[in-house]
This record gives sequence, structure tokens and C-alpha cells, in this order.
Amino acid sequence: MAREAPIFRFNHERSMLVAATVERVVSNTKDPLHALNDAAYWEIRRLDGARSASGQAELSEWRSLARRLARMSDVERRERLSSLATSYAEDIAGNFDPRVFRASTRILPSLVTGLLAPGALPRHLRDPRGLLSLDALADKVVIQGDTARLAKLAERGTLVFVPTHSSNMDSIVFGFALERSGLPPATYGAGKNLFTNPLLSFFMHNLGAYKVDRRLRFDLYKDCLKTYSCVLLERGYHSLFFPGGTRSRSGAVEAKLKLGLAGTGIESYVRSLRAGAERKVFFVPATINYLITLEAETLIEDYLSEAGKARYIIEDDESTRLSRVVAFVRKLFTMRGSVVIRFGEPLDPFGNSVARDGRSLDRRGRAVETASFVRDVAGEVSLDADRDAQYTRELADSLVRGYRANTLVNSTNLVAVACFDHLRKQASRDDLFTVLRLRDQKISRDELAREVLARRDVLRELERRGEVVLSEQIRESSGGDVLAQAMSAFSGYHSAPVIEAHEDGVALRDPKLLYYYQNRLIRHGMGFDVEARGGSPCSASGGAR
Amino acid sequence: MRAPAVGVLGGGPWGLALAKAAARGPSETWLHSRRAQDDVVAGVRVTRSLAELARCRLLLVAVPSTLARDVARELGEHLDGSHLVVHGIRGLSGAELSTVSRIFREETPARRLGALGGPVQADELAEGRPSAMVVASDFGEVTKAVREALEGEHLQVYASRDLRGLEWASALVGCLSIGVGYAQARADISPGLLAALLSRAADEAAAIVVAAGADEHTFYGLGGYGDLLASMALADRPEVVLGRELARGASLNDARGRARLRVEAIDLVPRIAAFARERGVRADILGTIAAMLDGSVPRADVVSTLFARS
Repeated sequence: MAREAPIFRFNHERSMLVAATVERVVSNTKDPLHALNDAAYWEIRRLDGARSASGQAELSEWRSLARRLARMSDVERRERLSSLATSYAEDIAGNFDPRVFRASTRILPSLVTGLLAPGALPRHLRDPRGLLSLDALADKVVIQGDTARLAKLAERGTLVFVPTHSSNMDSIVFGFALERSGLPPATYGAGKNLFTNPLLSFFMHNLGAYKVDRRLRFDLYKDCLKTYSCVLLERGYHSLFFPGGTRSRSGAVEAKLKLGLAGTGIESYVRSLRAGAERKVFFVPATINYLITLEAETLIEDYLSEAGKARYIIEDDESTRLSRVVAFVRKLFTMRGSVVIRFGEPLDPFGNSVARDGRSLDRRGRAVETASFVRDVAGEVSLDADRDAQYTRELADSLVRGYRANTLVNSTNLVAVACFDHLRKQASRDDLFTVLRLRDQKISRDELAREVLARRDVLRELERRGEVVLSEQIRESSGGDVLAQAMSAFSGYHSAPVIEAHEDGVALRDPKLLYYYQNRLIRHGMGFDVEARGGSPCSASGGAR
Repeated sequence: MRAPAVGVLGGGPWGLALAKAAARGPSETWLHSRRAQDDVVAGVRVTRSLAELARCRLLLVAVPSTLARDVARELGEHLDGSHLVVHGIRGLSGAELSTVSRIFREETPARRLGALGGPVQADELAEGRPSAMVVASDFGEVTKAVREALEGEHLQVYASRDLRGLEWASALVGCLSIGVGYAQARADISPGLLAALLSRAADEAAAIVVAAGADEHTFYGLGGYGDLLASMALADRPEVVLGRELARGASLNDARGRARLRVEAIDLVPRIAAFARERGVRADILGTIAAMLDGSVPRADVVSTLFARS
């Protein structure tokens, strides 16, 4: 089934997709003068002071356009708009090589295993079939959720996967999960900066990614991007968005989503209805849960630093350093259940639940005609930006609830909560930065194990109510076992040990990383939640508990 | 485009008034009523079938708040996602203080929901005398449809995007109106003191609206403060009657009897006061009204408690 996914027709359809995008962007632009002025303003701002020859050339071209714009005729402006839209759409449309796709999803994990887990190599040499299967990943990347139901829905409409985002590994890991679950591959927009990273660009190009240039801030570019994504959905290309917009810096599961791309779900659905060929869109929330996060150190540093607010794109982090990626992947392959992907309940673009057959359901479980949500008072199917934006906000609320319910608690998160709570008790003030400055505090092993167990039991009660999920490794374990698992996960990857065993107890070595890993549970009322105190990390201080 | 048909659910004075207002407008108007309606104005079609009513895409619901959930559940069988459902019900339901729109969200497939509020009275609306009301919805489409259906020469309908805020504001006005009736009946409360009481009550209510996740401006608007001001002149408003009777020394039961209509705010006041406490919002006036209702403050002390400073 997955082999028939539209992405395999991509090369055939690429020029048509680009043309449809350009045509729609140009015809939807009411005021070409304004659109071009806006683009010129932002591009001149961005390129001002550019050193490279190409940057200089671009800059002078924009400056000359800005000068001539007022004198241009409407026809000339539209031509210019069209040529710019074409170059942006061409840039956005990625490459997809089905042969490389098959090779990379099937063989790479095993090759990676072979290369990074040398112990497995002799076995693979004896039985090379192991190299050609994904089995090596089976107990490392665990997939949970009703994937059979999703496969059924993929036959009835377009799937939009909307996972949580904490690492540059996400799209690769998620791509493997789709392949492994027998789900069709999904196309997605990846930051253009990732394409310049030689390590990641190989995967990006060939797993069906299109390019998103986050430096381009003007409406014309954003319109091209949204329209391209909408055109893909209309043509049935299953898609992957990270609605958090960027990797979670704090480590917390997303509570605020960026809605631009999610809104294209309704638009593509309405367009299909109007064309007389209803094509439903199903949003699938998912969580990607790592025992340890590749970029944890950079992310939390970024979150904590004032500069983090402006530094939207991290150009240099662990994911660009080969040695760190190798160390990370090696670590990943030594631990059971080190990545767990959980698919949540699928939703229609309006945030309603969806039956197995793809029909929309109301809260009482009644099937409702999906098209009724986009009928206006006269009964006509319509696009209504204001209405659809509200539906999308409500969809986002449902996704956030889905993230919370499908958050998987790992030993690292649980132990980090207990350790960080202990640090808070030692601090002179209950203030984030005071706590973060504490160095080498110790706690007895027994006490820590007790604290871990107490929190695990609270979470077990939440799990019983369907509000969270515990990893298999911690659900029934003793406090001491959970602690041991976390210590083994923490050791050997991060540049300094997060916590360390001593004869007289456990030393809490890295409060920042403990803070990062405990943040995963703040949506469940556990740990130190700076955001709930109404503060950014930089303004957070004092306040009663 | 022809105006969509308007369906009104509820045959009490408020439902009847809304039907009459809608019938003056451009829309075909239907009224669903369980009682016999002999004196319905021309232009309003009466039905006893919810299925028939649901042919109208804009529905105005005017039933007592105690019936809201049952009505919503029954209506839900006949609706789909294309209906705009707007209620004119004052109150918050259950221990969790559910808004009425939330009840409709839970019980029906309708998503485009709204609420009516403001100081308009059923009789002035029915008679077509000059009046003003508020409609709030998260969907601009809903407020637009209501304005088109109801607005006329003598009726001004103001639109708000803060549905939750309007629903909380309406409920709070119901509660605070008891205090208005009480203060007016006390010889020792001068107009100036009453004004001070109302202003403080408005600040308190606005803070509660914020704690409920809505916009404080909504309380300072027509659906909150405006409606509260109207209480001063609405001597027949059941909450005002109740407060007045309590000030005159009646027992809660007698005061309740004299208010004639059910005063749902009696149960709501302590629940909202508890909500405010939980969220750390100061609510001295609501707290005093609650204490007055459950008899834990002697009548002689109510005024000093109302103006107590801590």
C-alpha cells in the first residue's frame, strides 16, 4: 500500500505542483505593489551588509526593484511577482528519489547499527539478511498506537502527522517509524539550514522533504510555502508538520502551536469539496519520546539565555558534529526503548474525533457530515478565513491535549524531577537561577529512590485516567531500578555526567540538564514550571511556590 | 443572498421576545415551544418538532439554565456542523462552572456557538422599544448572523469575540444584582456609597473573568458593567427583589418566594466565591453576598463587611 503513496509520483508531478502553487499565489495576491514592496523591504534588510558576491548581487537587484516599483505598470508587477513566486516555489519543492528512499529507510538503520555497534558486525557478516531489515531497530525504536487504523484512514484521505519536536533526529526517526508501521511516507518542510548540514541533508533530500527558508520573513514567501503545502495535501501527499514550529528548547511538550500550516488542512479539504471530489484530511498527533535528547545541552542553554529569543535557528549544535551524532546513535542502540513514538487519536481539520471509516464524530460519538462544518448560513461550502482560523485554534487545543495524554515518561524524566525538586529544597530561594547555580549537591540513594517511587505512583494514577503513559521500563520497577536505568542512560553521552553515583549517595552534577529533562513533565503538574509562573526563564525569579 | 431562517427554542417570555424581534427582521422565523402559543405574532411559525426547527441554520436558545443540558442533548440529535447555536441563558453549571456554550459543545455537533447578553429586557424587546444587547462568539460568522437577524431600527446588537467572557460576565451580574437590591433597600447606604460598591464589584468581577480565562474588558462592557448598572433601575429583576427582601429582614425562603422567578444566582454565588478563593482572586463582595445568603454574617454587619478593608 505504502508503495502507491503519492510521494512516489513526485518527480512526475513536480512541475505541476510548482505551477499550481505559483498560479494560486499570484491570483490570490490582491495588491502586487504591496507584496513586492514588502518582500523588497525584508530582503534589503536581510542582505544589507552581505559579504558574498551572490549576496551583493541579490541586494542590488532588490534595491533596483524597490526603486522601479512605483513606476512599473500592473502587468509588469504581476510578471515580477510571478517570476519571484516561481523561484521560491522551485526552491521549496524538494527532491525525492524513490530508490534512495527505499534504500535509506530499509538499509540504513542496519548499516548504522553495523557501523556504530561494532559488536553486531560479526553477526551481520554471518547473516547479511539482518543488514537489509529494520529488525535491528525493533526494540530501540518502539512504536505505539493504533497504526492499523491509521493505515485504513490513509486509504480514505490525506494524513497529516503532527508530532512533538525536540530534536533534529525527529524527522529521520519518524520516517523510519512510518515505514516500519506500514504507513505511507510523508513529505515535510525542513529548515533550509538542515540541508547545508552534510550529515542530515542526505536524509532530508531523500525522505521527501521540501525546503523552508526561515530567513525569508515576508508574506510572498510565506504564501508560497503555505500554498505549496496546501497543494500537496490536495493531491493526497501525506504530510508531516511540527506544529511547535521549532524544537522545544525547554524540553517541555508543546503547549502553544504555530497554526499556519495546520490551517491548510481546512483549505485543501474545502477545495476538494468544491472540485466535487471530497478528499478528507486527518490530523494525527504523535509524540516522539527520547530517553536522552541529542541536542539537550544546546537547547536548554539556548532556552536559558536571553539570546535564545532571537536566535531562532541554531546553526551549530550537536546535530552538526559528527562525533556527537555517532556517540548519540551508539547510545541509542545500547538502550532498550530509547525512542518511543506514540501515535494519538486522529482528528479531522476541525478538531473532531474521527471514526474508523473516516467520518467525523461529535463529542457524544455521533457521526456528523464533515462537510457541514464548512457550510455557511446559506448552506454553501465556503472558505472563510475567520471561521477557519477559529477551527484551527480549536484543532490546536485538541492536539495539545493529545500531546499531553501521549507523553511517555522515561526514567530520565522521572529521576530528573526528583533530583530537581531536591535541589529546590537546598536552594536559599525558590528561584530558577538560584537552583541552577547549585553545584554538586548530594542526595542519598535510598532517599532519591523513595522520591522517584512516590512520583511514579502519582504518574501511574494519571496513566490510569489516560492522561500520560509510563515507559514499560518504569511502570513496575522499583525506585532503585528506575534510578539505575536513568543513571545508565545519562552516562556516557552528555559531555558531563548529569548525575553520578558516589559511595555516600548520588551527586547532582548538571542542574541545567536535570532542569531540561524534568521539563518534560510540567504539563502534568510535576517539576518546576517557570512558564506557569508567568515568566520567561530570564525574568523568572522568586515567587511563592 | 436570502437571510437564513431563524429558529427560537423556548416559549417563555424571553424566547417569545426573541422570536418577535427576529420576525421584525428579514428572516423567516420559527419558534419551538412545548406550551400552546395562542398569541404569537404574525410571521412566527410555531412548531413542536425539533427536527423541523433544525431546518433553520441559526438557532436562538432561551430555556431556563437548569434545562440547558437536557435541551442541548435532545437538540443534538437534529443538528450538524452547519448550525449556528446562540443561547440567551444566564448561568454557569455544575461544580466545574461550565458555561452554557460548553454544554452545547459537549452535547451537540454544533461548533459555531454564541451567547446573548446585556441589559435588554424581554418586554422591551417584545414590544420593539429602543434597546441594546450583546452577542459574543469565537466565530465572526455567528455574531454577523445574529446582528443581521435581530438588529433593527430600535435594537442595537453589539458584537464581541469573547464568548467565555460574556457568559461569565452575565452570570456574575446575576450574582452581584442581589447585592444591588440589598444596598438599595438599606437606608444607611447613600447613592455615593452604592456607586462605590458597584465600582468595587466591577473590579472584583473583572478579575474573576480573567481568572476564568477571558478578557477583563468584557466585564467592563455592556454585558457586564452595563448590565449591572441596569439592575439599579430594574426593581423587578428577581435577584434585585431577593436582595431587597433580605435587606428588609425576610428569611431566605420568604425572599425567594417574593422574587417569584427562580433565582439561580443563590446557588451560584458560593460556587463562584470558592472559585475566586481557589484562584487567589480577592472577592470580598461576592464573599459577603455568599455569607449573607447562608446567614453566616449578621444583617447588622453586612454593610461593614461589604466595605471591609483587609
